Amino acid sequence: MDTASTYNYKVVRQFSIMTIVWGIVGMSVGVLIAAQLMWPALNFDIPWLTYSRLRPLHTNAVIFAFGGSALFATSYYVVQRTCQARLFSNGLAAFTFWGWQLVILSAAITLPLGITTSKEYAELEWPIDILITLVWVAYAVVFFGTIMKRRTKHIYVANWFYGAFILTVAVLHLVNSAALPVSAMKSYSAYPGAIDAMVQWWYGHNAVGFFLTAGFLGMMYYFIPKQANRPVYSYRLSVVHFWALISTYMWAGPHHLHYTALPDWAQSLGMVFSLILLAPSWGGMINGMMTLSGAWHKLRTDPILKFLIVSLSFYGMSTFEGPMMAIKTVNALSHYTDWTIGHVHSGALGWVALVSIGSMYFLIPRLFGREQMYSVKLIDVHFWVSTIGVVLYIAAMWIAGVMQGLMWRAVNDDGTLTYSFVESLERMYPFYFVRFLGGAIFLSGMLIMAYNVYKTIAGQRPAVAAIPQTA
Amino acid sequence: MSETKTKQQGAVQTTGHAWDGDIQEFNNPLPRWWLWSFYATVVFSVLYWVIYPAWPVGKGYTTGWFNDITYTVNGEERSRHWNTRSLLIKDMQEGKEALLTQEYMQKVEAADYQQILADPDMMTFVRSVTKGLFGDNCAACHGAGGAGVIGLFPNLADDDWLWGGSVEDIQNTIALGRNGYMPAFARTLNEEQLDDVSLYVLSLSGHEVPADKLMRGKQLFTGEAGGCYYCHTAQGTGLKSQGAANLTDNIWTIADVPSQAELAGKAAVVKEVIRNGVNRVMPAWENRLDENQIKLLTVYVHELGGGQ
Repeated sequence: MDTASTYNYKVVRQFSIMTIVWGIVGMSVGVLIAAQLMWPALNFDIPWLTYSRLRPLHTNAVIFAFGGSALFATSYYVVQRTCQARLFSNGLAAFTFWGWQLVILSAAITLPLGITTSKEYAELEWPIDILITLVWVAYAVVFFGTIMKRRTKHIYVANWFYGAFILTVAVLHLVNSAALPVSAMKSYSAYPGAIDAMVQWWYGHNAVGFFLTAGFLGMMYYFIPKQANRPVYSYRLSVVHFWALISTYMWAGPHHLHYTALPDWAQSLGMVFSLILLAPSWGGMINGMMTLSGAWHKLRTDPILKFLIVSLSFYGMSTFEGPMMAIKTVNALSHYTDWTIGHVHSGALGWVALVSIGSMYFLIPRLFGREQMYSVKLIDVHFWVSTIGVVLYIAAMWIAGVMQGLMWRAVNDDGTLTYSFVESLERMYPFYFVRFLGGAIFLSGMLIMAYNVYKTIAGQRPAVAAIPQTA
Repeated sequence: MSETKTKQQGAVQTTGHAWDGDIQEFNNPLPRWWLWSFYATVVFSVLYWVIYPAWPVGKGYTTGWFNDITYTVNGEERSRHWNTRSLLIKDMQEGKEALLTQEYMQKVEAADYQQILADPDMMTFVRSVTKGLFGDNCAACHGAGGAGVIGLFPNLADDDWLWGGSVEDIQNTIALGRNGYMPAFARTLNEEQLDDVSLYVLSLSGHEVPADKLMRGKQLFTGEAGGCYYCHTAQGTGLKSQGAANLTDNIWTIADVPSQAELAGKAAVVKEVIRNGVNRVMPAWENRLDENQIKLLTVYVHELGGGQ
């Protein structure tokens, strides 16, 4: 087979399959720990299964294993198709796949063992951090190398977002993971006290901004116009919101540290930049949604488009909610409550997972040489199952969070606090149950997907796609 | 707006590029409402920067203007640019809740136990302020209502006191902690003897047990072979100095006797306790809570169990 004249679909296939596998794994762990909050005995008195160790495993698995694989798969697909060029290097692309799987495997082993830096979303210890760096550099070389050898004149907007995501995540990872190793599996952060907290949340928030937003906007910018078969609504809007988004996101991190030892000026900056971020975030939603104008009827019949468009609605909702929660007065109520968990999941399940799932349903048949998925009906079922799951989840966490916030601040006539902490915890049980239920329903949707994908690719030969030659 | 909406898709040109065969881009203008909301957030931010501390400059930062906080320290009036630390000080000095709590707290601090217990007004305050204190520090073991967990954590809401129910006793318990210890008799007594003592213990609280076993059990309990009477006394009424339970009141904190319907079952749970002994610890709180907090908790717990 002449590899020079075809697209590299192999690595895209590998990452696509692992997206689904890790999605199921990561969400299962999520459902387990949600259940543990209801029924603590479910840790079975085994240290490796305690909530504190499984929670980072859940977040790492869904963000970096599920979300990461989806980003690798789609970015490799999109950059090739829109640059009309095969990936820069087959070897490096394969290295990114196996390297990334090794990172995930290491996480799955070390986190339950209690090996952690204790930095949220950056828990992995220094040897794994080094492996991540190597994989990421290879990723950047493959991606930007492919851009360099493109046969199209202009770089498509999806690639700007993917590019920004790759570059920024590299910077975030390097700066936040700077640490002094004291043994093979233990290191201490290079930063002291409040500075460490600030660096951590600069990283943490931009992990949301660039990993979970910019990267997935890249996905959106390819798969929505493709699936809807409509031109993108506005090139101008994409330019403006791209630059506004990436230049503003960087500043918003301190809103995670409102009312802490972080200097007031940093908190102010974090708050207002979070507010400024609202419009740039919505720019992506508007551009995606309006791409459908004139083709809204397709939403009735096309479940893939439903996934993509509803993901944008959740994206719009959580990027509105985020700036609101960053306002200090609101934050005084919402901080440390389950509202935050609800907010994260409206982004993570509603936006990131739905847009990835939609894109995967688009990709899988094309990667395996089928016209479409084995069952379009099942895609539709999956869509409704996941939507119901997300809504149950976030509604439960909203109510729980606001109730916690109000109970914690309630005062009696003599100025004393009305409730103790455990009383607020007791009230959480019904909502923790609904959250568990919502998560379990969402997970069952992933199992439907796995079945559908299996039936689609079983017995199929991998597709080979020739690169169109420019005239 | 509506006019452009109907026309725009047909009228607006694409940029003229196409990717991957068919992806094109229209070049619609930025939605006005979107642009204006963007500007609005920017304007809000600039105003915010004027009023609040915002930008780092050298080793300092812009402090914000027209927004100073005035408060008093040691009778001296102070004015600072807006900052959360001064805000807290001011709130603790002038806030409605802070002032109310402060007033009561000083009263409680100055009063002794007898005065607090005799003053319904102070007791109302103690109840509400200590509920949170109890919930945050004690409820993890003893439960939010103080009912405890049989076998593990003593019930504080009944009028049975292992270590004494006077305010002095309760204060000591909280401040210094307690080690609840009863030796295990697994090696001292054989199975039959354990059975006999268990039945005797049950007889102390009015359970009907076979007379022969009762006699043998009594000998063990009050004699040197068992030596139970050292701590529980010959009558079985317990010794508060040792934290030894009163066995005659049919209140059980370790052996879950009430859960058993039959005598055999009741004897079995008592036997397990005698066989394995007891070793439980209540931590000392004097280094974690201040004197006044311990005082509040003492009064609270005293009232919870109808203290002595």
